[in-house]
Amino acid sequence: MRPPYLAFEQVTKRFGELDVVAPPFSFEIGQKEFVVFLGPSGCGKTTLMRMIGGLESLSSGAIMLHGVPLGPPDRRRGMVFQSYSSFPWLTVSSNIDFGMRYRNDLSKEEKRERREHYLEMVGLADFGEAFPNKLSGGMRQRIAIARALASGSEILLMDEPFGALDALRRERLQVELRRIQKEDAKTVVFVTHDVEEAVFLADRIVVFSKRPARILSVVDVAGTLGTERSLKVRDSDAFFRLRSRVLHMIRESAGETE
Amino acid sequence: MNEPARLDMRDTDPARSASTPAAVPAARPASIAKLRAPLPRRQQLALALVTSTAVVALWEAAVRTGWLNETYCPSPSTIVATLWRMVTQEHFLTDIAISNARVWGAFLLSAAMAIPLGILMSSYRSLGAALEPIVDFIRYLPVPALVPLSIIWFGVGEETKLFLLWLGTFFQLILLVIDDMNRVPQEYIEVAATVGAQAPQILRDVALRAMLPSLLNNLRITLGWCWTYLILAEIVAADDGIGFVIWSARRFMRTPEVMAGVVAIGLIGLVTDQLLRLLHRRAFRYL
Repeated sequence: MRPPYLAFEQVTKRFGELDVVAPPFSFEIGQKEFVVFLGPSGCGKTTLMRMIGGLESLSSGAIMLHGVPLGPPDRRRGMVFQSYSSFPWLTVSSNIDFGMRYRNDLSKEEKRERREHYLEMVGLADFGEAFPNKLSGGMRQRIAIARALASGSEILLMDEPFGALDALRRERLQVELRRIQKEDAKTVVFVTHDVEEAVFLADRIVVFSKRPARILSVVDVAGTLGTERSLKVRDSDAFFRLRSRVLHMIRESAGETE
Repeated sequence: MNEPARLDMRDTDPARSASTPAAVPAARPASIAKLRAPLPRRQQLALALVTSTAVVALWEAAVRTGWLNETYCPSPSTIVATLWRMVTQEHFLTDIAISNARVWGAFLLSAAMAIPLGILMSSYRSLGAALEPIVDFIRYLPVPALVPLSIIWFGVGEETKLFLLWLGTFFQLILLVIDDMNRVPQEYIEVAATVGAQAPQILRDVALRAMLPSLLNNLRITLGWCWTYLILAEIVAADDGIGFVIWSARRFMRTPEVMAGVVAIGLIGLVTDQLLRLLHRRAFRYL
């Protein structure tokens, strides 16, 4: 039998006396799937996502990619943070180049082509020579996305990347992120505490309880809304119903523990 | 249907509120409006020029009217004339060059050692834990207390000066570098790791580059301390350099030469500092 693409196997995390992930967490993610980890802040969902990136240690269990345990960070797993992580001393173009800086398998020409390609894809083609500090928060997140894509990551790990953006920019980047994910065939693990964002972006939502993180429910969004996500989806009844369902789920769980 | 879809558990998160600053009120009360009010560059220059000129003029007048005794406190015009004579007729430029060479030699040595060590001490906590007590102990020793020891160890040659200057700056600089490195955002380091950079590459290409602006500022401040220790070293153990010139002039009560030496140090400091500031502005335009 073929192993699943990405799998958490019996993962737990203790931080001193504190249980961050318990009971053991097991979950499988398919290739090119868009999975959103949804839950209250501090619940441990970010810790689980950072484990995929090799940025957080596991107390027990393993995370497998193609059936092989994942180790320290490498460029198969790219990160996009909530804070603006583009380097202020580099232009937009050079920031994207940085994603390929440690790749010896690409020629200079190939790197240039990739840079142009991803600049175009995230809509920054006209801003290649600009410095990040001169750009809006939304544009800086585009840089971070393009840098991760250019590095050749097959899994994109996103930690509330649109949390600091205003409503309009957030909505626009959400639509574009779905488009880019399909276009570039990436697997995305996206962490948020925003129910609407989760429902709009996800193929599947993993709803987490308060810390220690355990799965409350896995919501199959793609089965209800399909995989095409335009702004129209946002106004559909199906979208609203799903959003309410997830919201109630979270409310109930908050009620039972508080 | 209109209830907010956003969980409000995150609303008190400092990171979030910091990135969405509260609206700035249109008009601030008059008393507060003056605090930190911006000042045009030309006005800054004009103010600086006016106060400096006034101080010099008052001083000159005080000497000319006999209110200040010229033997103890010569007038600015006498000092300038003396400085000019020393530079044109008495090889004072050689002494200035020697002092500068000592300062920069020791300073660059300190920096070349402290920057990598500080970065490593901040990055590898075990190294930091091992070395911090030693650094803190030596850092608190006043350099003058070590002058006798230094002369016993190294005699009165260049080694003593180099040692004293290095001692006065190296251990302070390590601490400043550690602090600069600690302030490099963790995200920068993690981004570099996830595009395939190894630890040495992360430190060199990202951490060092990210801390460079604040590092240059700290180097600029440390360079000033170097001059303090240099004059000390040249007074106790030298036969050339600005400190030596000042000290020998004192023995014959040649106050104008003593003050000319002091003014020379001030001028060198002023010029060096301005040049480094200019370099900072040029190199870090993106800030």
